[in-house]
Amino acid sequence: MKILAVTACTAGIAHTYIVAEKIQKAAEELGHQCKVETQGSAGVQNELTAADIKDADVIIFSHDIAIRGTDRFEGKRIVDVPISLAMKQPKSLIATIEKKLAAK
Amino acid sequence: MDLSSILNPAIIDLSVEGTTKDEVLRNLAQVLLRNGYIDDVEQFVSDIYEREAEGPTGMGEGISIPHGKSTAAKKIGIAIGRTVNPIRWESSMEDDGWQESTLVFLFCVFVDTEFASNHLMLLSQLAGKLGNEARLARLHQCQTPDEIIAAILAEDEELESVDSKEEIMDLDLDF
Repeated sequence: MKILAVTACTAGIAHTYIVAEKIQKAAEELGHQCKVETQGSAGVQNELTAADIKDADVIIFSHDIAIRGTDRFEGKRIVDVPISLAMKQPKSLIATIEKKLAAK
Repeated sequence: MDLSSILNPAIIDLSVEGTTKDEVLRNLAQVLLRNGYIDDVEQFVSDIYEREAEGPTGMGEGISIPHGKSTAAKKIGIAIGRTVNPIRWESSMEDDGWQESTLVFLFCVFVDTEFASNHLMLLSQLAGKLGNEARLARLHQCQTPDEIIAAILAEDEELESVDSKEEIMDLDLDF
């Protein structure tokens, strides 16, 4: 799968970036391509482009505060979860998405 | 830009005294004060607690990452402490909401972040490195501040691969 994700936490200092790394690692470990945009105190990093979004099978929003620029993802399949879920169970998150998509 | 502005051996203390989270936070804040990162321990700790109230900062593996923006902060950095005693800490990883921590990464960030984009960029990169389980395992083995810094800066490929402890299970996701 081609997985995209956007992360954003309340302070924008730690969890945004730690969870981005966890999602990236979990996706790669399970054999998927992945790109994660972070929206934190350092601004928007690794921004998802129109080309990224066009090719994506699924987009994960992992956040505690509103994600900016959601209009970019109109018509795409969005999985919306709190930061804490991706913090605790990143592999289960990816594996569950994979399973549900395969069943669709 | 020099990473030592954020990772400074002078603000790494591998024998932090205390038996409670509050004592450990205050002792680490003193380290920041002595090194010119903050100018007011009470204000800084109170700002850290403000963020703590919004959600747990225990991230599993015996590691906690208290953080927050503070008006008392003068420089951006991360104080790192290994505690002499295991410290009970609110956790997003445990079902009962608590973990025991022995490594504390105390992020020191000032409020007016507009003038610090380079530092914040570095800080975000360093935070991301804590999302790697192999790195966390290595951090627990470090004996000196310089080893801690080396473990944080190590490339992923330099780290021994550690099997993720997460057991894969079906989540209740609606999409």
